[in-house]
Amino acid sequence: MSALVSEVGTRTAAAAHNLVKVYGKGDTAVRALDGVSVAFQAGRFTAIMGPSGSGKSTLMHCLAGLDTVDGGAIHVGQTEITKLNDKDLTKLRRDRVGFVFQAFNLLPTLTAEQNILLGLELAGRKPDKEWFDTIVDVLGLRDRLTHRPTELSGGQQQRVACARALVARPEVIFADEPTGNLDSRSGAEVLDFLRMSVRKMGQTVIMVTHDPVAASYADRVVLLADGRLAGEIHQPTTESVVNALTHLGA
Amino acid sequence: MLKTILAGLRARTARLVLSSIAIALGVAFVTGTLVLGDAVGEQTRDNFARSARNVDAAVHTAENSPNREDGIPADFLQKIRNTPGVEGADSREFGSAALLSGEGKARNALVQPLPTTEKLRDFNLKDGKFPVKADEAAIDVKTAQIAKLKVGDKLKLLDKDNAEHAFTIVGTYQQGASSISMSGSDHVVVSPEGLRTVIPDQRVYEIVAVAKAGVTQQQLVADITKAIGPGYQVQTGEELTQATLAQVGDAAGEIKTFLLAFAAISLVVAGMVIYNTFTILVAQRTKELALLRCVGANRSQVFRSVLAEALFMGLAASVLGLLGGIGVSAGLQTFISTFGGPSGGDDNPIRLPISWVTIAAGFGVGVVVTVLSAVLPARRATRVAPVAALRSQPDSSDDVARTGKVRIAVATLIALVGGAAVYFGLQQEKEEPAMFITGGATMVLLLAVLLLGPLYVPLVNRLFGKALRGVPAKLASANAGRNPKRTAATTAALMIGVTIVAMVAVVAGSGRATMNEQVDKRFPADYAVKSNVYSQPLSPKFTEDLAKVRNVAQIAPELRAFGESPKLEYADVTGYPTEALGSLVRPDLAAGTLTGLKDGEIAMREKEAKTAGVAIGSTVPISGKDLKVVALIKDNSYGTGIVTLKTAESILKEPVKGYQNVLVKLAPGTDITQARADLERFIATSPVAVLDSAAETKAELNSQIDQILLFIWALVGLALIIALFGIANTLTLSVLERTRESALLRALGLTRGQLRQMLVVESILMALIGAVVGVLLGAGFGWLLVEAISNSEFTISFSIPFGQIGIMLGLAVVAAVIAAALPARRAARNSVVAGMAEA
Ligand SMILES: Nc1ncnc2c1ncn2[C@@H]1O[C@H](COP(=O)(O)OP(=O)(O)OP(=O)(O)O)[C@@H](O)[C@H]1O
Ligand SMILES: [Mg+2]
Repeated sequence: MSALVSEVGTRTAAAAHNLVKVYGKGDTAVRALDGVSVAFQAGRFTAIMGPSGSGKSTLMHCLAGLDTVDGGAIHVGQTEITKLNDKDLTKLRRDRVGFVFQAFNLLPTLTAEQNILLGLELAGRKPDKEWFDTIVDVLGLRDRLTHRPTELSGGQQQRVACARALVARPEVIFADEPTGNLDSRSGAEVLDFLRMSVRKMGQTVIMVTHDPVAASYADRVVLLADGRLAGEIHQPTTESVVNALTHLGA
Repeated sequence: MLKTILAGLRARTARLVLSSIAIALGVAFVTGTLVLGDAVGEQTRDNFARSARNVDAAVHTAENSPNREDGIPADFLQKIRNTPGVEGADSREFGSAALLSGEGKARNALVQPLPTTEKLRDFNLKDGKFPVKADEAAIDVKTAQIAKLKVGDKLKLLDKDNAEHAFTIVGTYQQGASSISMSGSDHVVVSPEGLRTVIPDQRVYEIVAVAKAGVTQQQLVADITKAIGPGYQVQTGEELTQATLAQVGDAAGEIKTFLLAFAAISLVVAGMVIYNTFTILVAQRTKELALLRCVGANRSQVFRSVLAEALFMGLAASVLGLLGGIGVSAGLQTFISTFGGPSGGDDNPIRLPISWVTIAAGFGVGVVVTVLSAVLPARRATRVAPVAALRSQPDSSDDVARTGKVRIAVATLIALVGGAAVYFGLQQEKEEPAMFITGGATMVLLLAVLLLGPLYVPLVNRLFGKALRGVPAKLASANAGRNPKRTAATTAALMIGVTIVAMVAVVAGSGRATMNEQVDKRFPADYAVKSNVYSQPLSPKFTEDLAKVRNVAQIAPELRAFGESPKLEYADVTGYPTEALGSLVRPDLAAGTLTGLKDGEIAMREKEAKTAGVAIGSTVPISGKDLKVVALIKDNSYGTGIVTLKTAESILKEPVKGYQNVLVKLAPGTDITQARADLERFIATSPVAVLDSAAETKAELNSQIDQILLFIWALVGLALIIALFGIANTLTLSVLERTRESALLRALGLTRGQLRQMLVVESILMALIGAVVGVLLGAGFGWLLVEAISNSEFTISFSIPFGQIGIMLGLAVVAAVIAAALPARRAARNSVVAGMAEA
């Protein structure tokens, strides 16, 4: 298993090259991303950090093909997604990418189980029953499967979202502040799970976070400031992250 | 607070515009119907009053005078003209004659002399001039249209000996509505001398006069009474107008009742759409209202702000709706005058009377319904703890609260009342009360069904959902089922419309099927030869010759005779040759036998026999003869009963001139086309005879039914438009509400097309729920009505017009697709990231 992990660890799961994203026009134009070049290795857990408004969410949206860019290129695996049209982008998201958002991850009309399987159904793929059971058991969702989102706690909802992202075995999972709405215990559960999915299952996870503790779960932290890359930390600890952020003035 | 309200109005423009349109449409619908009702009433009154226009005094034969039949003596007109104080006087008379217009058959025409006093002409000249010379004529515009005649053409009138009298058409005129113009005949005006040449012995029943300046109507009446002596009724012009209008009241009242019933329905439909829209609107703002509460606004401030907003919107939209309603009314009037509705198809100017009632109803619907629709959800919103509301997700258990016990109890109670009323209606023997009571009762039942909507709508939705394949369709079904109350309210409007159309379609369809059956059964003859002109029956000679036409096996002339009976209100019998009874004439028998009916015997209508208190074996006196009752028949199409030709002749006061109708049976195995050609060739020898077959009779009856249906479809079409707008509105609002959800789905890989498909399916589901439940209800209610109208004498067999109902369901689906088009576009256009950012 560890051999496999080190082998895929050298491969690039997603990369941005000289990425530019501008919001608005003229005087009010904001360069949310101002020439960002960064690569994310497969089978790694990477955290993106930076002060509020530094462009973290924007970077993630662009990487995941949710938003268009104004300059530069993005690759997911071998595919240059900045060249794809809406239809192919949708297919990419459906088949190769997973998401966990800060809030509102689930469709209120569907049960937990239906929510978990939604992505696969959209892709018209059959779920791997064993894999589904493993995920559900690891996340402790077994007795919550028939519940609707309104009947679940915030932590449970985020775990359902994680399960949905994992069940399709996507190339990359993007998570934008997945623990932002959770208390520290529920947050730790979700982070533990994300880290485990990387270590044990070889999953690639890219996560935006504000929380140094959350970042310490990652293998590497990428720092952003004012839409530019502002350094990175390997094997981060809570202290090293806090230090780096203080330097950035966040 | 005012600032917050205004800012709020600006910020939510899209939603507000949608709800305003809903309100405006509702108001337009209600006011449109009311304006139309007033317009029809005004127009009818106007038309009728035209016959009393400028009249200062009117002379009639007295109500109970013994020589009423003879009319007013001929010399009275001159006497009245000579009376001091009379500026001019004219007789109001008309006679019936056959009109020949170039090619084709004679048509029945009512011929009136042109009043010499200009003020007394109750018709308005359209083209040309009025006839002056004895060989000039003017025709009614409708007659001109139907008979394809124009100024300068020639027309011929036949006198009762079939002699032709030629006239040149010198003008056309617009007929005022009256008992004369309402009869479907053609109308011709000639000079008084012209009339004498065609109808020399026309009796006069009314003379009208104009007073000289300075003479009062009372004075004039007194003078005329003195001049002509007693025994006649002399009215002032004012009295005549009142009497005429009293008659109109009945005719116009029927249309008005119909339109009012329709306005009530439209009010309910509009109310539902407005209520639903506003409920969603306020539900969406629950968070915003809670935030206001959090920053310190108190409960009543929040409440008042919602109310003020609703009031403002309601007022603005009502004004728009009122204007729209006037437009709707104008449109409907054009429609009616184009296709011929209850107003008789005269080309009348479009009238837009706006009464206080209309304005009050318009604003009532617009403002009151809007405010009420806002109050209920706003109250709910202010009751929720602010923090809880801030956290709430759309369609959390709060707004989707279960169908209340109270609602179920109330609905059950209403259903019981409706059920009892239906039972009562079914017991009625008379057709009209049975129809009205049962009809009203079905509407009560409909109300109960609507109230219970949140109970069964999710079930129906699940049923339909089972049939759906594919993720977008399944998501659509889940969406339609997420808020049963909302879905129920959305579909309710459509349900009402469809229920009513289906009901009318079923009743009309059943009536049509029954009529066709009856035509088949009662019309065993292959053809009937009829006279097109009432005053020109088919002569006995013609009838004899008809029997000699090749392949004609048997003929049966029909003679209708009007007599009197001390035991009956009317006593009109239909005579046939004995040998035709049981073969060419086959009525529905209740008792006895018809075959071999002898002179002096009668096969009496069962109902009349009951009234007269006679049974088989006893006798009934008609015009001084005691007829022996030998059979009882159920049909009402033979008057009091069937007798032999001889008996009918003896009841007739004057000698037989001819027959209105002759039944013809062909020899077995005759080639139909050959026989028809032979008959047509023979019939061409008579100017008035026309050939009628069972198929043509059916077509004629069916076209009458179709005309009624057309009118109802037009009105109900409007209700459907509103209902579908309701669906579009609900859908648009839920799309706005579900922006994040849509974005999430897009992020997870739902393509734009699939997102659109999801919304279209959702819309179709809602429309189908409304339409299918509506069709089922309508068919059931239609069945009840058919049962209610049927009685011992007249049975309607229930039949469902599947074609029309299929068309309706198809239309509902098409309209649902259209309704979903905009919201779907909107949802698909939204970018994923922007959608996710939406609070
Ligand atoms: N839709 C938008 N329109 C205009 N400007 C935007 C938009 N979205 C983001 N921005 C701007 O782009 C910059 C980067 O925004 P972004 O959301 O990526 O920041 P972030 O690092 O995720 O911040 P946070 O930590 O607060 O989530 C900010 O200055 C923001 O104001
Ligand atoms: Mg962010």
